[in-house]
Order: sequence, then structure tokens, then C-alpha cells
Amino acid sequence: MAGLEAEQIRPTQLTQEEVRRVCEFLYRRTGMVFADSRRYYIDRRVAERIAATQSDSFRSYFSVLRSDANHEIEHLVNAFTINETYFNREEHQLRCMTSSLLDNIVGVRDRREAIRIWSIPCSTGEEPYSIAMWLMEHWSEVDSYNIEIVASDIDTRALKAGAQGIYSERALMRLSQNVISRYFEPLPDSRYQIHPGLIDSVQFTRANLIDSRDMARYRGFDIIFCRNVLIYFDDSSRRIAAENLYDCLRPGGYICLGHSETMSRISSLFRVCSFSEAIIYQRPEADHGAK
Amino acid sequence: MPFVKREVSGPATEDGPRQEPLESTIAALRSLDAETRWSAARALGGRAKAVTALADALSKEQIPHVQEAIITALMRIGNEASVMALLPYLRSQDAGQRSAVIEALQALPGAVLPFMASLLGDPDSDVRILATELTRTLPEDDTTRLLCELLEREQHSNVCAAAVDVLAEVGTREALPTLRSCAERFAGTPFLPFAVSVAIARISGTES
Amino acid sequence: MVQNDTVSPRLTIRILIVDDSSLVRLYYRNILERAGFEVEQAINGIEAIERVQAQAFNLVVVDVNMPKMDGFSFLRALRRSAPSVATLPALVITTESSQHDLDDARSAGANFYLVKPVSEADLLRHAAILTGRQNERIA
Repeated sequence: MAGLEAEQIRPTQLTQEEVRRVCEFLYRRTGMVFADSRRYYIDRRVAERIAATQSDSFRSYFSVLRSDANHEIEHLVNAFTINETYFNREEHQLRCMTSSLLDNIVGVRDRREAIRIWSIPCSTGEEPYSIAMWLMEHWSEVDSYNIEIVASDIDTRALKAGAQGIYSERALMRLSQNVISRYFEPLPDSRYQIHPGLIDSVQFTRANLIDSRDMARYRGFDIIFCRNVLIYFDDSSRRIAAENLYDCLRPGGYICLGHSETMSRISSLFRVCSFSEAIIYQRPEADHGAK
Repeated sequence: MPFVKREVSGPATEDGPRQEPLESTIAALRSLDAETRWSAARALGGRAKAVTALADALSKEQIPHVQEAIITALMRIGNEASVMALLPYLRSQDAGQRSAVIEALQALPGAVLPFMASLLGDPDSDVRILATELTRTLPEDDTTRLLCELLEREQHSNVCAAAVDVLAEVGTREALPTLRSCAERFAGTPFLPFAVSVAIARISGTES
Repeated sequence: MVQNDTVSPRLTIRILIVDDSSLVRLYYRNILERAGFEVEQAINGIEAIERVQAQAFNLVVVDVNMPKMDGFSFLRALRRSAPSVATLPALVITTESSQHDLDDARSAGANFYLVKPVSEADLLRHAAILTGRQNERIA
């Protein structure tokens, strides 16, 4: 890889050491790992961000990145990842829900009490609908209980799209043909409309994870899916969001984070439960605060 | 389908936080019930007049998640008084408490800066190690200056290692001479010469 | 490279390094990879638990005295895991001032300990012993 040339205009190529600094910073901050094989790709994306932030050197860009000015960490990560949502993302957590979590939840429960599940942020609805479909396909007790699925996001346009329930073919790529034919109707423009019964089954609301007043309206959840958002928060916001989520959970309730989110120190409030399918966090049952 | 819908209660609030009366919330910090103390701590976040009460509560609190809430509340106040309330816990025997306090202090680079020189000169090597971690979120010129001052006089190799680790990420060219002399001082020891060589390469490769 | 004196085929020996310092992880990785071990890394205990569940390891090297991670919690969680994972040998790295934690380390399930800073010779010797390669000649 060529070294950094002395240029009047901003750099378009990174040195190995610059790439290493970025990779190590991102790993420490977000848990994301970048293999050596992706080095060239990283080089290009960071160069783009240097230009986008109008930084005149790597050093000044790295300062911007470290301080997370204007959510630069999120911009950089979005530049790396193909930012699309799809159904049945991180299926191992859905599997953990039906094979382990729900048994624990219903164990000491009155059958008339609803099981409450929350997807936040829900984006355009793929996650809450995935949860609903998964429960119907994989949980033998699905008809024995009332299940409430709430889907929330700060972005009202995303919520609107979720309530409409129309998706591209790509979003369905993890679903079997059987599931697609059971829950979706193909549209003429090769998109798909999700079954109206599912749309009716999900409560879409606007909510902001960091706003404690907002979050105070949500209580008594058994499972919260809060994936791939906490890593973008600064330490301050993440602590507040974690405390808000704690309050929204029933004692003994579970919270599922995104797979690279071990960096989020949410474990200080929650018990770490390592199931064979996934690592899930739990609000302690009794108020002993035992770790 | 077995799914039920229920209206999410209460109006959506767009206005600012409702201010509970300070006195009663502070009193609730002393409740015998942990969840009451938890809620009180959360409600006092950002309220500067509550620093003394929060500091007092933290010194007595046994329940970990309530400790966390008090630490967050102090962090959200973020002034010199709240930093002073948090600093003693860098010496805590409880790893979780130390971690929480470091995280809170790292979120307050401006407020913590005046204390850094003293922390980096603390007689306890463990405190000096934690202090180097706090320099990670400072502006790079401050971090470089503070850690170079530390490295010039530090005898304890693990403290030097911690400082070199931060400089590898944040350090500027100004750190190079100090790093080289640190490697010389610790020549022949297992880890430090290697760490310094990586830090030097990292800085040189990013500071053309 | 490590050479195997016995007739059995050479198996991959995989070691997980857990430390929140990227320089320490790099240091251990260089030493162990040069000696023929396959090395993976984790930055804290929770990531480490995920890694050991996802992949088979022969040894975990874990620092217990760090600001942002509690190695003891990791060890306890490890020993509570499924049997195939719970018996994973653990080499614990302590600092001088935490030598009084050795009893804690042993009761949390450590197999052996070393004090920071760790020399190449010590790391290799203990890695060899704990992964059962002590009879192999190291070139």
C-alpha cells in the first residue's frame, strides 16, 4: 500500500498505520471487527469520510471521529455496512426466544396475562413482523397466550412504512417459500405486501430511547429487542438508555442486543445469560442486585 | 392470530422534563426501598443542587444498579463538584464501581482535565493506570502532554504500558522523543519496548 | 514453528486472548502465532464468552486486573457454561498489586497465573503446558 503523499488537497489514501488506528478505535468503541482482507475497502471508506467532513488531514479527521462530532462514528460505520434491514435478522436470538426465554417467562405466569415484546428501534417493521411470524411458526404455545408486540422508533417515516407493510424481495431473502406464501402477497412491482392480520397485530409507536419521560409510558415488558443502536450512542446517552430500558422491563425480563454490542456496558445493570443460541441480558428477578 | 393490541398509556411528551420538587426527591434517595432510591437517583440527573445528596447516597449505597443510577445522575450534572464526588471511586475495591466511574468521567473531558495532572501523579499505581484511561477522551494535545509528563518520571512498567497504549491511539509527534527514551529506560524488559515500537510506528504513520 | 515428535497428525491449537489493551493483545498474538498456535482475540469478558461458545478453543489467556473488564466474572461465567466449554483451561494474567487476588483467581476457576509484564518464554511455556504440547520440540 502506498504511503501518504504530501498533498495540498486532502488525502485520498491512508497509510497502514492510519487504517490500524481506525480499526482499533472502531473495535474498542463498537465491537466491530475488520479483517485484513478488507483493508483496501476500509481505506476507501475512510477517505470518503475525510472528504465528507472536510477534514484537511487524517489527524484532524481522527479527532472528529474520536469525539463523535455530528455522529461521525455512525456515518463511518454506515459507510462500511450494507445498511439494509431484512426479515429474520440474527435468527439465533429468535430461536433463543422460543427455545429458552419464553419457557422461563411463562413458567410463573397466569395464562391470562399477556406476554409483552418490544422491538425498539423497529425501523421499517421487519423486526417486529419477524418476531410475530417466528412465534407463529416455532412456538408450540403460541395459541395459549395473549401476545402483545409493540414496535417503536424515533423516525415517524419508518413507522409509517412499517404500518404499510410493503417490502422488497431482498428483505425476504432469509424467509422460506412456505413462510412467504403464508404471510405475504406478491405485488405487481415485485414487492411484497405483508398479511393485514400481521399489521393489525403490531402496535407502532414513536419513542425515543434517551427520553425518560417518553420511555416512562412503557412498562412490564418480558422481552425487548434493542439491536444495533446502543453502539452509536455516546457513553452518556448509553447509560441513560440502559437505565430507561431497565425500567421498561419486568423483573426477570430479557433484553437482546445486536451481535457486536458487547461493548455496551449494559451488563452492569443486567445479568448476562449465556444460552446456547445467544447471549441475552436479563433484569434481575428479585431486587438483590446480584451480578 | 394470537396477538393483542393495547394502547400505550399517557400522552407523548415533547416538552422538557417535569421537575419534581427537589427536597422530596432528595429525601427519596434515603428511602429504605431500593427501587425508590433508583427512581430518585434517576430523577436527580442534571440537577446541580443535588450533588451533595447524590455523593452522600453513593457512599452508602450497596445495591449495584442503584449505584449505577447515582453515578449516571452525577455524570449528567457534569460539573467540578460532581467530578470530585466521583473521583474517590477510582480507588474502589469493586471492579464494577471503578468501571462505572471511569465511564462517567470519560464522558466529561472538560470537567476532568483540571484533575488529571494530580491523578497521574497519585501514589497508588493502580490509580495512575486508571487515570491514563481517562486521558483517552481528552483532546490529543492534552493527552500527549499529560502522558509524556507521566512517562518522563514513571518507574512502574505497567503504568508506562497503560500510557503507551493510549498514546498509540491518540498521541501526536510530540510524544516521539519521550517514547524513545522510555524504551531505552526499560530495554530488556518483556513488553514495554515492543509496545513503544508499535506506538511510534502508529504515530509516525499517521502524522506526515 | 512447533514440530510434533509423535506420529499423530498435527491438530490446530487455538488460543483466545482476552485483554482490553490492543498492544497487549498484539504482543501475545505475535508470540503465539510465531510458535504455531492459532490465535483469536476478545476485548472483554462478554465478547470472550461469545467466542468460546461459537468456536472451540484449547486455552484462554485472560487479564483480570483491568479498568473496564472483570476477568473474574468471565471465569465464573465460563465455568457455569456447557461442559464442553466449562473445562477450557484458563491462564490468568495478574499485576503485582493484585497477587492477593490469586485465591480469587483459583476459586473462580483459573488453571494457572502469570504476572504482568509477561515474558515470551513464560507465555510459551505455560501455553504449551496448558494445551498439552509440552512434549513437543519448539524449533
